[in-house]
Amino acid sequence: MAKENQAALTIQEEFAKKIKAENRREKIIKWAPVLVLLALIVVFTIARGSAFASVSNLVAILNQWAIPLIVALGLTFVIMLGGIDLSIDGTVGMAGSIASVLVMNTLNDNNFGIFGIIIAILCSVVVGFFVGLFHVKLKIPSFMVSFAFMNICTGIAYLSYSGTPATVSDPVLKALPKVSFLGIPFITWVALVMLLLCIYIQEYTPFGRYIYAVGTDETIPRSVGINVDHVKIKVFTLAGFLFGVAGVVGLIRLGQGQAGIGKDLMFPAQAAVVIGGTSLSGGKGGVLNTVVGTLIMTVLINGLTMMGVNPNIKTGIQGIIILVAVILTTKRGATVISK
Amino acid sequence: MEKKLLFSAKNITKSFYGTQALKGVDLDIYEGEVVGLIGENGAGKSTLLKIIIGVQPQTSGEMTMHGRPFAPADPMAANKEGIGMVFQEQSLIVNLSVGQNLFFGHEKDFMRMGFVNWKKMYEESKKVLEEVNCGYINPKKKVIDLNFATRQMVEIAKVVNLTKSGHDDQKCLILLDEPTSVLNEEEVQNLFKEVRKLTAKGHAVVFVSHRLDEVLEISDRIYVYKDGENAGNMDIKDATEEKLYAAMVGRETTTEYYHLADQKPAGKEVVLETKDLGLSGVFKHCNIKLHKGEILGICGVVGSGKEEICSVICGDEKPSSGELYVNGKKVDYSSPANALHDGILMIPKERHAEGIVRNLSVADNMALSNATLLSEHGVVSKKKVNDQADEWIERLRIKTSGREAELISLSGGNQQKVVFARALASQADIIILNHPTRGVDVGAKEEIYALTREVVAQGKSVILLGDTLDECIGMSNRVIVMKDGLITGEFQADAGEKPSQVSIVSLMM
Amino acid sequence: MEKTNTVSKATSWKKVLLKNYSILVVVVMIVIFTILEPNFLNSMNIVNLLSDSAPLMIMAAGMTPILILGSIDLSLGSMCSVANVMMLAIMLSMKDTAMNPFLIFAIALLATMAAGICSGIVLGLIHVKLKVPSFIASLAFMSVWDSAALMITSSPVKLPKALKMTADWYKIQIGPVGLPLIMSVLVIVVYHFIITRRAFGRSIFAIGGNERAARIAGIKVDLYKVIVFAVNGLCAALGAMFLLVKAKSSAPTVGESFTLMVISAVVAGGTPNTGGSGSLLKTIIGVFIISIIKNGMNMVGVNVYWQKVVYGAIILLAVAITTDRSSRSRVVK
Repeated sequence: MAKENQAALTIQEEFAKKIKAENRREKIIKWAPVLVLLALIVVFTIARGSAFASVSNLVAILNQWAIPLIVALGLTFVIMLGGIDLSIDGTVGMAGSIASVLVMNTLNDNNFGIFGIIIAILCSVVVGFFVGLFHVKLKIPSFMVSFAFMNICTGIAYLSYSGTPATVSDPVLKALPKVSFLGIPFITWVALVMLLLCIYIQEYTPFGRYIYAVGTDETIPRSVGINVDHVKIKVFTLAGFLFGVAGVVGLIRLGQGQAGIGKDLMFPAQAAVVIGGTSLSGGKGGVLNTVVGTLIMTVLINGLTMMGVNPNIKTGIQGIIILVAVILTTKRGATVISK
Repeated sequence: MEKKLLFSAKNITKSFYGTQALKGVDLDIYEGEVVGLIGENGAGKSTLLKIIIGVQPQTSGEMTMHGRPFAPADPMAANKEGIGMVFQEQSLIVNLSVGQNLFFGHEKDFMRMGFVNWKKMYEESKKVLEEVNCGYINPKKKVIDLNFATRQMVEIAKVVNLTKSGHDDQKCLILLDEPTSVLNEEEVQNLFKEVRKLTAKGHAVVFVSHRLDEVLEISDRIYVYKDGENAGNMDIKDATEEKLYAAMVGRETTTEYYHLADQKPAGKEVVLETKDLGLSGVFKHCNIKLHKGEILGICGVVGSGKEEICSVICGDEKPSSGELYVNGKKVDYSSPANALHDGILMIPKERHAEGIVRNLSVADNMALSNATLLSEHGVVSKKKVNDQADEWIERLRIKTSGREAELISLSGGNQQKVVFARALASQADIIILNHPTRGVDVGAKEEIYALTREVVAQGKSVILLGDTLDECIGMSNRVIVMKDGLITGEFQADAGEKPSQVSIVSLMM
Repeated sequence: MEKTNTVSKATSWKKVLLKNYSILVVVVMIVIFTILEPNFLNSMNIVNLLSDSAPLMIMAAGMTPILILGSIDLSLGSMCSVANVMMLAIMLSMKDTAMNPFLIFAIALLATMAAGICSGIVLGLIHVKLKVPSFIASLAFMSVWDSAALMITSSPVKLPKALKMTADWYKIQIGPVGLPLIMSVLVIVVYHFIITRRAFGRSIFAIGGNERAARIAGIKVDLYKVIVFAVNGLCAALGAMFLLVKAKSSAPTVGESFTLMVISAVVAGGTPNTGGSGSLLKTIIGVFIISIIKNGMNMVGVNVYWQKVVYGAIILLAVAITTDRSSRSRVVK
């Protein structure tokens, strides 16, 4: 009997060891993004020296960082739910295009100023709301709904200026890209404000807690009377808002409204969120992870461009990054079903 | 000291789709006591707990709490009345902090100017944790960084806090469903210490566990349930392991029910053998021999490792140690398809999750495992598939509108028969029956027993995980008992010389 | 008893309608477009419409079983782009040899097909063995193939004069129907036969319906899934070949719009993305729905940008109609 007990203990010990190993792995993965970022900075500094590690390049990086950050912030909340939003390219392009034809521009006589911008962002908010609504109420997977909306919105973007992109002629909007405060460009400030907003939502509102809970296990929030469907719809709507802001910022930066503003934003955003440590299965990660993730992507692209790498290869690298990050964080086992 | 009645349930019944899970059970709980609740798997313990906490309503019967009638619509309503439950599968959000978990869903109470006042919440958390004597837990720590024992205490603290919302002096009732299954010896003792401190304050605790020694140690009173009925209610002074075993086990095997006349002695030839088989953290040192024409029963409580042994044998999971021999040949399966190639097939326990394809027809479901056998020149013969379906629908008396009916339109018992037919039609020689009669009515059960006998008479071999102990003993030629991942006993179970249930239960718990 | 009968009658009537709604859609659309533009039904346009639908048809053939599995491949269009530029690049590299042009064509085609199959196998293995959801794995592949296509050539390339004759067969007509479409439909019919009549194919429905049950029942789940992805890669390569021959030139972004159109066609045909049900024959109708919309909108003079909006709406509508919502416990993410 004593011998059996000892053996029984070892089974429990094995179990405990397994859990411990898992926790250790989690901890390593938790800090990996920061290490990757530091490594990238070191590598590029060694390779390109002062060209990379200069104030002017730092400002450039901050400039390049702004739009991917805003977009990735929106996506972060969606992925924390365990869902995904593929509509990014469309919604961002749509918001930028709609804004361009509503403010003072070369294409028509509209001059709604700030209201034009608000309307454009509202359009994007509405799209986000519908993505969430269709996903939740019709029980269609979020990737499918948002995939459809990506195309719908791209179409709407083209239609809003029907072929000839509108160039912004509003003096204020034209001046904004050159404005900087404390050495940081205006559009980066917008991104930072959005970042603060997201940190507030995630850390200081009940809603932020609910997002984690829904992503972890929907039955837990349901059992304390939280309307899970509403949480989901709100998250997609919030994402829509951020995509809209990104579209307007893209317009300001480019000076011209076109569907292309949103093009190729989705991959860096997906890659940034996932590599930052927000798991696709939901309930894990957060806004700060995404900050690190977007920095990794921005520094990487900036550095690769400096090294003279073929620009065509960049999207491919992003794809591989997504794949590796997902592979590292997916749960496996006989009972796991992936579709 | 005069004891005050806190909670009472009278004559609770519950039926699911025609099967009666509870046939009228009672439960009385007084302030400041720990009540142990024991019984075999399926005796109705979990069902009763779910009714008390408001996850599902009873079919009939009355409950009172604090002397008032009590009929919770959902767990929140139960919480308000002072009843909280720590579920077997933990309900903490691992990436949030302890404090955030304690007040999850109640953040609005801490809002100040649009911000959640975390400082205040953590101060409150500290108080809540101290209430259950867990002041040592830092409420700012994330749950994922805590070990299971500490998580369990957080869970208890959360439940205690929920049940007290509003009135501080309200006595509450905490339901603990298998709280010790993930804890080691020392952690169990700690848990018990905390439970005693809780009851010292007048709260009551219901303790459900498979481990009889723990139940005997912590409880003041013990209820025994059997087949959804009361089988005993004894004070701890009168309770001994022997008495509890005797109360738990059901009626003894009846000869006709299990077709014992048809039970033939097993052959000598070993068709399957495991040598020191193990799965890390689940079971170990498993040595089993299965003979031709034998029904080998494996008994054990949930978590004893018996399910996982089946998963390993049928190729669903890879063992982490040991060897598996089939017909004398060493095998190493990477999927159930490999195992089927050698003639091993399992009827899974979870019918909906693993047994049936709901949107396929009855005929297609039966042909899942043997589509190639029904083919001519690589083309699956529709006629053969249909003939096979018709044959089995008749033989097993499956109630269906026809072989083309979608499987989901059948009742649970008939779905199970289809899964059974699939296994029998597959020409597998070693069939693992994992709870073959779960959710099946009595008539169908008997048919399945008869069929199993028939299959074995044809020279096939069966590993049986019975739905009840009685079934396992009644059907098997030999019974293996498992506890905590180890084989603790083996009994010969020839017809007429069946081992007693008590002797097996005492090795299971 | 009577009551259940009437209920089942009502539901079966609804089921018949749901199962065949796609044919209805085709008829309705033909009527609408004919009213809006009488020339829609003239023989020239019919020939055009039919020949246009061949690449879409063959790619939809590969995608349908993937949706029956409950998976998806978002990299299809990008794989098609790679195959398209790759095939022409191979042909160009051999054009100065003394080889028979048709032999060059055949070699290039075989190499492209092999590449397509390999790509499908790799995607399938990553999805199956590493348990990465297919939409995210294929999303990553999409960006990789987009890059790869641009690396091979960043701008459209014309088929050289010396090899032009290898593309002439694309114009062969049998009645109003072009050879490529006949080939595509043939592929679909053969694949349909395999899917419905071979043990392998029937397993695909079981896997899509309940993967765990299929695995426990001894079906080679992983192998079959990879095969389906491999066939999809092959179909992408064949579609790329059609596009190359049709345009007599290659372009690194030629497949971009096809991912959307193919998925639209498959779901519009009535194969839900929830898995476990669907049909390749229905996909034929789905492809015609998309082709008619595309052609009809061009005829009527609808802004080309509306088409994206319409395809997106079709996906939403078709998925909303065909999604199986009977299991309430299922968590949709």
